[in-house]
Amino acid sequence: MRRTRSKTLIGLVAAAALALAGCSAGSSTSPTTASTPATTASPTSAATTGGSETGGGESTSATSGSETGAEPSSSAPPASDASLAIGFVLEPTSLDFTQADGAAIPQVLLTNIYETLVKQDQDGNIVPGLAESWTVSDDGKTYTFKLRDGVKFTNGADFTAADAVFSIDQVKTKWKPAVKAAMDVVDKAEAVSPTELKVTLKNPSNSWLFKMTTRVGAMFSKTGVADLATKPIGTGPYVFTSWTRGDNIVLTRNEDYWGTKPNVKTVTFRYFQDPTAMNNALLTGGIQVISTVQTPDTLSQFDDTSKYAVVKGDTNGEVMMTMNNTAKPLDDVKVRQAINYALDKKAILDGAWAGYGTVIGSHESPLDPWYVDLADKYPHDVAKAKELLAEAGQSNLTLKLALPPVPYAAAAAPIIISQLKEAGITVEPSNVTFDVWLDQVFDAAKNDYQLTIINHVEPRDIGTVFSGDPTSYYTHYDNPEVTKLLASADAGTAEQQVTDMKKVVNILADDAAAAWLWSFPNLMVSTTAVGGLPVNAVGEAFDLTALTVS
Amino acid sequence: MAWQLVRRLLIFLISAVVASMLIFLVLSGLGNPARTQLGTGATDEAVAELSKEMGLDRPLVVQYWDWATGLLHGDFGVSYVQHIPIGPQISDRLLVTTWLVLGAMIIALLIAVPLGMASALRHGKVSGYLLSGASQIGVAVPAFLAAFILVAIFSVSLGWLPANGYTVPAADPGLFLKQMILPWLSLGLVQGAVLTRYVRSSVLDEMGQDYLRTARSKGLTPGSALVRHGLRNAAIPVLTVIGVQLVTILVGAVVVERIFVIPGIGSYLADSVDRQDLLAVQGIVVTLVVIALFISFLVDLAYTLIDPRLRRR
Amino acid sequence: MTAVQPVPPPTEPAAPAVLGPAPTGSRHRVSPLLYIGGAIVGLIVLVALVSFFWTPFDPLYTDVVNRHAPPGTAGHLLGTDMRGRDIASLLMEGARTTLYVGIVSVGIAALIGTPIGIIAGMTRPGASEFIMRATDILLAFPALLMALLFAAKWGGSVTTAMIAIGIATVPAFIRVIRSGTLQVMSADYVLAARVAGRRGTAIAAHHVLPNVLGLVIVQASVGYAIAILAEAALSYLGLGAGPTTPSWGRMLYEGQSGWPTYPLVSLWPALAIILAVLGFNLLGDGLRDRFDPRLAGRS
Repeated sequence: MRRTRSKTLIGLVAAAALALAGCSAGSSTSPTTASTPATTASPTSAATTGGSETGGGESTSATSGSETGAEPSSSAPPASDASLAIGFVLEPTSLDFTQADGAAIPQVLLTNIYETLVKQDQDGNIVPGLAESWTVSDDGKTYTFKLRDGVKFTNGADFTAADAVFSIDQVKTKWKPAVKAAMDVVDKAEAVSPTELKVTLKNPSNSWLFKMTTRVGAMFSKTGVADLATKPIGTGPYVFTSWTRGDNIVLTRNEDYWGTKPNVKTVTFRYFQDPTAMNNALLTGGIQVISTVQTPDTLSQFDDTSKYAVVKGDTNGEVMMTMNNTAKPLDDVKVRQAINYALDKKAILDGAWAGYGTVIGSHESPLDPWYVDLADKYPHDVAKAKELLAEAGQSNLTLKLALPPVPYAAAAAPIIISQLKEAGITVEPSNVTFDVWLDQVFDAAKNDYQLTIINHVEPRDIGTVFSGDPTSYYTHYDNPEVTKLLASADAGTAEQQVTDMKKVVNILADDAAAAWLWSFPNLMVSTTAVGGLPVNAVGEAFDLTALTVS
Repeated sequence: MAWQLVRRLLIFLISAVVASMLIFLVLSGLGNPARTQLGTGATDEAVAELSKEMGLDRPLVVQYWDWATGLLHGDFGVSYVQHIPIGPQISDRLLVTTWLVLGAMIIALLIAVPLGMASALRHGKVSGYLLSGASQIGVAVPAFLAAFILVAIFSVSLGWLPANGYTVPAADPGLFLKQMILPWLSLGLVQGAVLTRYVRSSVLDEMGQDYLRTARSKGLTPGSALVRHGLRNAAIPVLTVIGVQLVTILVGAVVVERIFVIPGIGSYLADSVDRQDLLAVQGIVVTLVVIALFISFLVDLAYTLIDPRLRRR
Repeated sequence: MTAVQPVPPPTEPAAPAVLGPAPTGSRHRVSPLLYIGGAIVGLIVLVALVSFFWTPFDPLYTDVVNRHAPPGTAGHLLGTDMRGRDIASLLMEGARTTLYVGIVSVGIAALIGTPIGIIAGMTRPGASEFIMRATDILLAFPALLMALLFAAKWGGSVTTAMIAIGIATVPAFIRVIRSGTLQVMSADYVLAARVAGRRGTAIAAHHVLPNVLGLVIVQASVGYAIAILAEAALSYLGLGAGPTTPSWGRMLYEGQSGWPTYPLVSLWPALAIILAVLGFNLLGDGLRDRFDPRLAGRS
């Protein structure tokens, strides 16, 4: 993928390839109860530095510091000599995500090779990673991490707080991709002792700790960054072995891993640009897992449950039809609402993505702690749509739709155009390359589009996408109340974050700030011999650690 | 004679240089490659910085000179997208595609020579028309369609052959062959149809020639007359066509490469286009074009050697 | 695939003096090829024209309830695709794209190549040689390569691709027209005209052009077939028509992943493409038979 500076953009592109979520509610998080999310948001108010109950772990055992492997779901199968080949779509352009953007790189490297201080579990809670535990000061500005002892990088160097400081500082000074902005809130990071790290923020921020579970929180060795593009060196359960460009990347188990060694010894990431080729590879034994199903209408070829298993989970992606909130006549809330009423979202999901995914009514995924089910906020009602359009004086509307070259947009567009036509809205589609899309649509300084379809994959990006400040992002959504709520959510306690974010979610739906279509599902197919696949794509990594081959 | 050689060599060299200039102009000369690579999220300073890094602030002529002289050393530059040298990738991938095309051409010839000859010899008869018709249809079938069908039958349904993948022949010759059979067939069958028509027409041309009629009057059947006397002459245009079309085929194999996940030069080009890796595209295109020009030069030369009538120009 | 299927064009191979093979069905009578090819092409043109006025359904209409419907369901003559779009309607409107594809690329090649070819055939040897050398350079860029080059710079789209293919086809036209021009120029009546002092442009207009027009048409027909296959290949690579433009290549591209389970979705456009290419090739061959005898003096 070409490099860009846009924040979520490359993620959006990769989303097409990344993962699809089935609508099986059972497999995803129980989204609405406030109690679970409280811990995912951030370690909260308890300012007791000595206490160990703060820190994200729902699984409190994890904070005790004596856990070695912290995977809640791991049943620690014995390490075997098994090898596995997994099919992917987007190949990384380099192995250095400090310089190159694109979701394909952390997909391979994060969690498997590079570890973070904290990580997410399958329910979206923040749990210990390289940090055994952590505490937060009363004012929410100082985080003290107790790091694990005895962890080594694959180049032999020890992992100490100094490396953590180095890694955090690097983000601000050396990183190029736009995600580095997550570290802007950090004032300074200090190594109090080899196993104690103190990070001081400029202001309290719930999202910072969450961001530390993503690639910006990856821990590098001070002495191991000479050749990141081709020789990644981390502390993780796998080691980089080889990369045959255009074909595959091979990872081998790190026999000196500090935690529970994974079951599978060799994992090959095989890259297929042709979805048929990937399907065929699974059918003929070339791979054992399809990590991301791109043509869900053809999943029926894997119906034989004695041979194949289909995994349906959630991702953080929201597929939506973005409406330029400042472009007439889309600046009229009635028009935006009319569009929402005119769309039959269930039909769109069925037609475009074979029904896999969750219809959403606001900028949220079922993995979000503040998820509210707003799917029926604007039920399919063509008459109501026409009524609203008439009220707004736009009974014969023509709008332009910019389509980037991603499969879900291509799939949804014809259906959307059809449906809007029934309500009297004529949509003129134009296909744009990503370059042009970045230029015309995504550039926040411009205002050159009306409608587009895209999948926003970054986790918890509601604050970026709908900041309420119309100049900051291409949605141009204007609502100072939302800006205030977002700020207070970030600065407040975990409970307050959830409450405030839910308010934001509802306001966005009321304002019909966009026409949200569905939350992208995490759809995978594997042979029945494979177990431990990450059902939900909670983060940026394709987590290999729990995989088993029988 | 030597003058012919020198003259043609000069033409080749000048053509190569002009072609490289055209390619350079299209990719590097128009617009700002740095901005294209960084995308619009990029700030003006970032673009300026990358421009400097890429040497884009220098006059075009200087940039071209740098690049071109680098090529002569085999230095195609380092990709700004992949951060690895482009040259080795080109040579590796070219080798892979060569294997693919070589096998395909052998199959194509195995089909085209007998069928083309038979079709020509049976010219005017029903079987001749059938053969001609079959080759017409064969030409109209896109190679990737042939690929889908072959894979569906032989790989997915029957399970006889792998559906995709590529292994270096040195590492595992058996697997290499198994993986290449379907790709070879996909390309070869279609190429075979194309060549059949050339063989046929070339043979028809020869058959009308006097010396063959003489041979026949001496008692040889049309077939053996052809084989004994005419084949060599008939072969010339066909070989010429193959040579001239070689680069077309090298590039055209890209779709088959994608389907069978073969890391060849065509898919490298397509991937580079996708990634907007303009420097790589530059290097690949100039390589292929120079190869095409070189083959053209060789064919020209060969004709001069073979046909004495052409030597005086 | 060799997206540029070099259906044996009358372009001579690199050897300068050889006029190249003319692989034809039969040599001396107006062959049935002309009629068959003409009929097929005519059918496609007809379908494309009709599509401007009527198609069974709106090709973009998604009958979401009836996706992957077998032929005959709910009025869908050939069934529906994965989004519920009527395949028959898509094929009909797709015919438009197919024809458009050919017109642009062949048009460019003919409009540029013909005049240059005539000039090359009429002008003095030095200039002629120069033109041919320049043509050779362009010839070294196969159509698909040119299309990828353009796509790298200007993004992939049907129009970009067709312009690229058009430019890449120019050399073929130049060569054919030039050789045709040379033959006309050596005919007696032309020599007479030159002796009589007629100027070059007059000769070109009155004698050369009418005589090489036949060659142009033949080459155009062949070029059309090449362009159609190229569009299919480019669509497969994702550089062709977009999701809201009905195109046979695109239908193939979208249908390919459903291949084993839902073969019809890709089968129909595949057949359409094969038929179209076949039609234009046959037409070209038939026309070549018709026009070839007019040019006497083949070596």
